[in-house]
Amino acid sequence: MENNNTAKKKEFFLIRWIKRAFFPNKEMDIYAEEQLQSPFRLVVRNFFSNKLAVLALIIVILITLTVFIAPNYVVLDLGEQDATLVNVAPGYNMMKYPSALQKNGVRDIAVGYNYSVGVDNTGKVYVWGKSRISQVVNTAKVPDEVMEADIVKVAAGADHVVALSSDGKIFCWGNDRLGQCRLPLDIQSNNRRPKFKIIKIEASDQFSAALDDEGNIYLWGNENFVELWVKSDLQGHIKDMALTSAAFVLLTDQGEVVAPTPTSSSTVTKIPEEAKSGVIAIEATTNTVAALKDDGSVIVWGAYTKNENLVPETSSKIVEIKGGRFHYTARLENGELIGWGNDRYEQASVPESVKNADIVDFYTGSFQNYAVDKNGKIYTWGLKGFICGTDSLGRDVFARLVNGGKMTMTIGALSVIIETIIGVILGGIAGYFGGWVDMAIMRISEIISSMPFIPFAMILSAVMGTKVSVEQRMYIIMVILGILSWPGLCSLVRAQMLAQREMEYVTAAKTVGVKESRIIFKHVIPNVMSVCLVSITLAFGTSMLTESTLSYLGFGVPLPTPTWGNMLTGANNSVIIQNYWWNWVFVGAIFGITCICINLIGDGLRDALDPKASGR
Amino acid sequence: MAKYILKRLVYLVIVFFIVSFMMFAIYNLIPSDPAMVQLEPLRKSLKPEEFRQRYLALRKQLGLDDPLVVRYARWMGFIKDVKGKHEGLLQGNFGYSVTFKRDVVDVIKVPMANTIILNIISTIITLAITIPLGIFCAVHARKPVDSAIQAGTVVGYSLPTYLIGIVFIYLFSVLLRLFPTGGAKTPGSTYTGIQELLDRLYYMCLPILVLVFTGLAGMTRTVRAAMIDTLSQDYIKTARAKGLKEKIVIYSHAWRNALLPVSTSIMGWIIGVFTGGSLVIENTFALNGTGRLYWTGLNSTDYELVLAMQMFYCLVGLIGVLITDIGYTLIDPRVRIDK
Repeated sequence: MENNNTAKKKEFFLIRWIKRAFFPNKEMDIYAEEQLQSPFRLVVRNFFSNKLAVLALIIVILITLTVFIAPNYVVLDLGEQDATLVNVAPGYNMMKYPSALQKNGVRDIAVGYNYSVGVDNTGKVYVWGKSRISQVVNTAKVPDEVMEADIVKVAAGADHVVALSSDGKIFCWGNDRLGQCRLPLDIQSNNRRPKFKIIKIEASDQFSAALDDEGNIYLWGNENFVELWVKSDLQGHIKDMALTSAAFVLLTDQGEVVAPTPTSSSTVTKIPEEAKSGVIAIEATTNTVAALKDDGSVIVWGAYTKNENLVPETSSKIVEIKGGRFHYTARLENGELIGWGNDRYEQASVPESVKNADIVDFYTGSFQNYAVDKNGKIYTWGLKGFICGTDSLGRDVFARLVNGGKMTMTIGALSVIIETIIGVILGGIAGYFGGWVDMAIMRISEIISSMPFIPFAMILSAVMGTKVSVEQRMYIIMVILGILSWPGLCSLVRAQMLAQREMEYVTAAKTVGVKESRIIFKHVIPNVMSVCLVSITLAFGTSMLTESTLSYLGFGVPLPTPTWGNMLTGANNSVIIQNYWWNWVFVGAIFGITCICINLIGDGLRDALDPKASGR
Repeated sequence: MAKYILKRLVYLVIVFFIVSFMMFAIYNLIPSDPAMVQLEPLRKSLKPEEFRQRYLALRKQLGLDDPLVVRYARWMGFIKDVKGKHEGLLQGNFGYSVTFKRDVVDVIKVPMANTIILNIISTIITLAITIPLGIFCAVHARKPVDSAIQAGTVVGYSLPTYLIGIVFIYLFSVLLRLFPTGGAKTPGSTYTGIQELLDRLYYMCLPILVLVFTGLAGMTRTVRAAMIDTLSQDYIKTARAKGLKEKIVIYSHAWRNALLPVSTSIMGWIIGVFTGGSLVIENTFALNGTGRLYWTGLNSTDYELVLAMQMFYCLVGLIGVLITDIGYTLIDPRVRIDK
């Protein structure tokens, strides 16, 4: 029997616990069992015989570990938000192109905000990714006439798609509320009576452009957003166009980049001197334009914020360039692909598999890249999607969930520690000494407990937390929670203390001459603590609930720092509850499960400590 | 008994003054300057020196430079205020709400009525469900039915109220389209009389449902625990031994005694709902109640309103404790009061 015990001690404690929980010890006769088990071990044994409580304990441990380890990997940038990634549904399907597209061969791919449009060699259009923009607008609802036509080129805007058929006809579908699909009369008549041949189409967030083979440009879309006209002397000389989100520039057949209108005030229409000759192609990201010159150099201008201007040194000439939202991807003369700019979703890091492949074509847009090799295989890199979606400011819900959990759990744990320290010390003193000390402490605790908790905590938070940093505010919340919630524990400890101080061992200690403080904290408190354990466990759950309630009401940890409570504040809105369920379901579920499990552990502990429950 | 009640009342008054002084002191930590607010429009028309003099004079006139205790006494109505009258909390002057541009007493009336209706209805429904349910669980303790209900109650009291609110909005407003998602009455309606009342109740259905649901779990557990405790008493064994029917044992002997300890937690629960619970519920459902008013006041730094409401909350809490204690001694003769 002894050997067995020492062997067991070497095992990791968790394994031992789990073993004990699921593979109970062999039946022992009642005397052996009685001899073996100290009261503490009996409690542990009782607890681990309760399957539900053990399961709850495992879940809580797992959630705690996740919440404390994962933030090191899922780093949260508090200032991060992106208007194009707002309310993206959960899932990794942003670059999951249909297999038929790869089978039939890619003719063209265009990338919109969070969806992509592709055309195969038979002229069939495919839409994939987050194509459901709103309840009515869904870019995947391709009109029948488009399905029948032989499409050669596609372009994708924020919520509209433009397609060009082989007979020069232009189709447009998606959101038309701001005139994104109101084709200009010239093109409409052209649709009936072919005169010009449209050779190129481009789409920006809310406007689109088409270029014909005679160098004329046609523009349509939201005119409140951008001036949709060009100087008349430019028409007939245009070779290429680049559309940023709120402006566009043109490339003339002389190789000069020009602003379309004299009145345009955008930063991208201030053309640098270097881009006034020898340019062969222009491309745009959201706020910048890049011009590729015939000597292979690239000039970037505009409002660059995410390193779009840092063109890397290359081994050979750049021959082709394409722009996403904040990054550029370019092809070198030797066929190699390079990327630069924002690399948040690794959209500017070309993967090894692509470097090794023989790429014939590549397409870039938003945060995604597609490359096609000579065998027709499609490679993708960039943003796949978000596992839990994004919220109404375009922030990753999963990152906020993990980091918010760390915050909520830290606050919960520390406030419980504060509560326990105050409660145990004051309760111990009150119970042991009695008399006027007891009287004073109990009156104070009554005053505090008679003050309504949440309103009082809100006031303290509002008064104390106005001009402090988030970090300090967090500590203030912890202290407030701790200070307001100790009376319950205090009276519990006091009651236990009253019972314990009459015990023989206290009298014995006194007789021997042990100091009073030593008797309380060394001998009596450990006996009291086992009962308090239940109360402390439950208090941990309550603290988390209170913190989240305070944060939900706007008096806890302030936004943008996430906690499980303030993440749900944004969900207090029927539109979000209905349409963007991922904003509240994940955090609600995790938080709910955590609280339920903590309470189950508390209940399990209570049952284990209760001698009546052990069935003897 | 009368001596005991008197003692409790004196104690209540003392505690009330301590708490109100604490609250007043906390409020005075807030950097606000009524004198500056009053004089701000004149700032441009006056010379800096003149402005400064007027400002200091006004501060003196408003009594802003007096010690905290004096200002507290004035606010409470113990001593004459700057106008030379006793006009404090004790005289029924609760202050003036900056946000609503009305006296706090007038601002508070409608929300108070809403909150009280909300709480009374939900309390009645909750008690009507939980007491029989708790007794049922205790009688069938440790059977599968009881275990299932216990598991359900753990879920109920573990989830935060606002989360249940959100889920209920999703279920009942979005999916089933039974109730409105929020608000206190149909916008733009001019109902009167019984129709107005029905309209109000209709808008309160969902908040009441959520309050009942959150109340169910905790109360059921309390009733069950008390009932189990009572059922293990000797007099129950005696009653059973002498051959009484189980129904009589439970409904005549056990449950009346079991409800004694429950009454304390009922009161505590009502206070909790009235303050914390209604704060959350009224915010989730945009219901015009005291909780939402308090929240609005705090957010728009309307401190006289918030201070008055905080006093009201404290009073509710203190009176609640008093009623519990006195009621307890009244219904349970075993409680010694002359200790």
